[in-house]
Amino acid sequence: MIAAATGVAMTGIFLILKGLILYAGILMTLSFVAVIVTFLYSDTKNWSSALSKFGRIPRDAVIGGFPVDISLTIQIIIMTELLLFGGGFAMYFALRVRMGVWPPLGTPILSDTIARVQTLILISSSVLVEWAISKLKQGNQKAFRAGLIGTTILGAMFPILQFGFEWPHLLLDKILTPSTNLFGSTFFLLTGIHGVHVVAGVLAFTYVDIRAFMGQYSPKNHGFVEATSTYWHFVHIIWLFLFALMWQGSRLLI
Amino acid sequence: MAREQIVDLKLEDFGTFVIFTAIYAAGSLGLPKLHLLAYQVTIGEMAAPFVAIFGIPAVFGLTLGQFIANLGFDVAPVAMLSPIVSFAGLIIIYYLRKTSTLGGCIIYILITSLWISYLLPQISNVSTSYAEASAFLEQSLAILVGYVAYLIAKRSIANPNVTSKNH
Repeated sequence: MIAAATGVAMTGIFLILKGLILYAGILMTLSFVAVIVTFLYSDTKNWSSALSKFGRIPRDAVIGGFPVDISLTIQIIIMTELLLFGGGFAMYFALRVRMGVWPPLGTPILSDTIARVQTLILISSSVLVEWAISKLKQGNQKAFRAGLIGTTILGAMFPILQFGFEWPHLLLDKILTPSTNLFGSTFFLLTGIHGVHVVAGVLAFTYVDIRAFMGQYSPKNHGFVEATSTYWHFVHIIWLFLFALMWQGSRLLI
Repeated sequence: MAREQIVDLKLEDFGTFVIFTAIYAAGSLGLPKLHLLAYQVTIGEMAAPFVAIFGIPAVFGLTLGQFIANLGFDVAPVAMLSPIVSFAGLIIIYYLRKTSTLGGCIIYILITSLWISYLLPQISNVSTSYAEASAFLEQSLAILVGYVAYLIAKRSIANPNVTSKNH
């Protein structure tokens, strides 16, 4: 179900980026969000009985014949993400090397005001989630929950700025579109994929928040929080590369 | 005993690594250089003394941060070697943290100043003597500010109750 929804959403994003059927694209992307929300809602009912045990499973436990270790899971996720973004950056550098001039002629110098705010948001959220985890380890549940909520709010501000302000400004004012040139295509592809990952991170933190308010984490039981924060840090580090290559990179002339 | 082990990923090092990467990269790309006296100081450099507190994740974080920052600037290919030089200096601060953090910082200043004074005349039209003087002074100022911040942080970590009692 999730896989099918992801396929629909990816098609929707493709349609938006190509400027083919804007409203159909938005509808398809929203349908993905609806499926995720439905999934999480139906899942929530069982959290107290089943999923609450997930974070309490000893490292060497075996469920259904398979050993359970969240650290391995998040390592695999990070590795696949590295391959995904590594491929994207490899494409960027391959284009940059092959083009005589980079960014290509006609590329506007992008204002980096929003990008700077987004960078500040991600740094703040990374520090905040680390602080929250340190408070949980000290047994301070109140501070832990406050830190998590703060992280989620900061995280949610990132895609709001990106998809609510920057992209419409660039696309509707025709400052930079995917069809402007190769820089434009690369810009929207990489920042779009990253933005989707940020949305996924925000959803993951929302899940963590709900579990935190259900009292499912303790100083000795917070593997899922650590895993989510690791994913979030990874998304953050990818953003730093994007900020350097896309916003500062639009000012270069090789 | 193994069965009592609860899932605890010990992944906090990754967070420290990323935060230090961000401090250097965003401090260099997103913030203007700080003007101290007549010199411009890179804000990211001020984080170097904190390696003595946060250890190896901070060393790798600052090194990667410098690499990312250089990607965003129109620098010569030789400048992309700068993170390696910084890494050497940061490792020295890390290994001297128990004996003399200040000594490590001084060595870091010397190593990075030498590199910058070699680099500057190659990528811009400045004389070697000017490059040597400005590199040394800018690095010294950055590390001095960072070292003072490090001392304050170290004191508050050693006496966490002092701050809360004052409130």
